[in-house]
Parts: sequence; C-alpha cells; structure tokens
Amino acid sequence: MRQELAQLGNGAHVLAIQILGNADDAADAVHDAFTRVLTKPGAYQPARGPLKPWFLHIVRNCCIDMIRRRRPGPVDIDELTDSGAGPEQALEISQRDRALQLSLSRLPAEQREILVLRDYVDLSYAEIAEVLGIAKGTVMSRLHRARLALKEELLPYG
Amino acid sequence: MVNESIRVDEHVGELLSGMVDGELTQQERQRVTLHCEQCEACRNDLAELRALRERLGNSSLSEAGEDTWRETMNEPVVANTRGLGWLLFLAGILAVAGVGMGAFIVDPSIPVGMKLILAAIYGGLALLLISVLRQRLIERKTDKYKDVEI
Repeated sequence: MRQELAQLGNGAHVLAIQILGNADDAADAVHDAFTRVLTKPGAYQPARGPLKPWFLHIVRNCCIDMIRRRRPGPVDIDELTDSGAGPEQALEISQRDRALQLSLSRLPAEQREILVLRDYVDLSYAEIAEVLGIAKGTVMSRLHRARLALKEELLPYG
Repeated sequence: MVNESIRVDEHVGELLSGMVDGELTQQERQRVTLHCEQCEACRNDLAELRALRERLGNSSLSEAGEDTWRETMNEPVVANTRGLGWLLFLAGILAVAGVGMGAFIVDPSIPVGMKLILAAIYGGLALLLISVLRQRLIERKTDKYKDVEI
C-alpha cells in the first residue's frame, strides 16, 4: 500500500495545487492525507473499489480542511478563486509546460481539478464522480466545458 | 448503412470529450463517428481535444518525485515509532528502579539511617526533575515563538 501511495503522490500534489493555489500548502495537504491513511490502516477497504480515487478524495478533503482553517465557514469548491500555481512557480517547471500551467491557473478551481483528475491522474468518469462527490452524468459536461476553456486560454501561446 | 435513429446532423458537443476518453456507449460512439465524417468543425474539435488531453497527460506539473512522497509518508511513522521507543525506554527504567528500590528497602544489612539518607537524595532528585519537566511543558504550551525557526 505504501508503494501505491507513493506513486499517487504526484497526482495528489497536482490536484491539491489546483485547490489550494500553491505548492507548499499542497504538499502539506498530501502529507496530512498520508498521515490520515497510515494511522488508520483498516480505513481502506479494497472491496469497495480502487485505492486511487479513495485516496484522492481524502486529499481533497484535507485541502478543504486547510481552507476552512484559513477562512472559517462553509467551503464551496466551486467558489474558490485562488488560481493554481502562480507565475514564479510556473517558472520552476519545464518551459514546455509553462504555458499549460499558466493557462490552467486562469481557469476556475472546479475546472482545474476535473482536468487534472481526468487528463493528468487518468481517472475514469466514475472515479472522478467519486472523488468530487458529483453525479457521473455531470462529469462529461463539466470536463468538456473545462477542456474548451483551457483550449481558449492556450490560444495566445499558439 | 446509416441508422435512422442516430441524429448525425446535430453537433455532438460534450460527446466529443466522452469519445476522447473512451466513455461513450456503442450508440453514442456511432453517432459521434457518423457526425464527424460529415462535419469538419467537430472533426477538428475532436483532434484538438485529443491533442489537449495528450499534452496535459504528458506534462510535468509537480517537481516532487516518488522518492519525495515516500519520505514524506515515512514522517508520521518515524514520529510514532520514536514515541513508542521513548515509552518502552522509560517503562524499562521505571521497572528496574522499582525492583532496585524494593530490594534496597527490604535489605536487612543496610541500616535504617542510611536508607533514609539515600531515600532523601533520590527523592530530592526526582522532585527536581519533575519540577524542571513541568516548567518546560508550561513554557512549550505558552511560548508563542515556539514555531519560529532561527
């Protein structure tokens, strides 16, 4: 299980960046998720489904908890306006991905996270629905809108 | 032969994303395929969506590697095992001290006066230790600069 979790670390980190807006907080959220999972080894039941969506759901909850600590009150992920990685952070990643990262950062959080879950983490629609707590039927339309929005944002970069 | 129940003249919109992801039913796939044969705009959209998915999938959006996460994952385990180690160590020390104390008290060859003197010395040391530990704990709880790294 530890090996599988380590392999999920990067995807979880990128998802957390989309929700929290910076890499350091995102790493803390992934760390919190590891702690939650490893201190309760019986919490994951393989019979209920794969580890990946279950763990990413926990990562997402850890991110929401962090936001709640920063700003007490109910958290609506759809209303989050923090952009993803900022320009300084984007400079750290390869030149090829810089335009992509900057374009992603201009999208709303709900579009960023669904794009990452499908295209970066490679979850199925059913798994995305599980992570986000939405109906499976909503996934395709939300994802399509997100892809069209990202395509628009990438236009200036050619 | 075209299935008449499949509307090939309408744009397929979000079904293009479903097609890219392999998440459509057979009928939906057929509808998208037939429509794209006739509609250049949707054909281009489909190609662009495929390219976009591939680009995002091949990108590197996090600098951290698998080893970093493995180390991160070990931190809580290290903390827990360290706590357990201290607990076992202190329990062992207390057990040895208890047995030694018992043997010392019941030993008839040691005069009572000597027993009282040694009890006062060790009792005093124990009280000093408890006092220092208590002070440290209070400082740790109330020190607002405890998380500041120098």
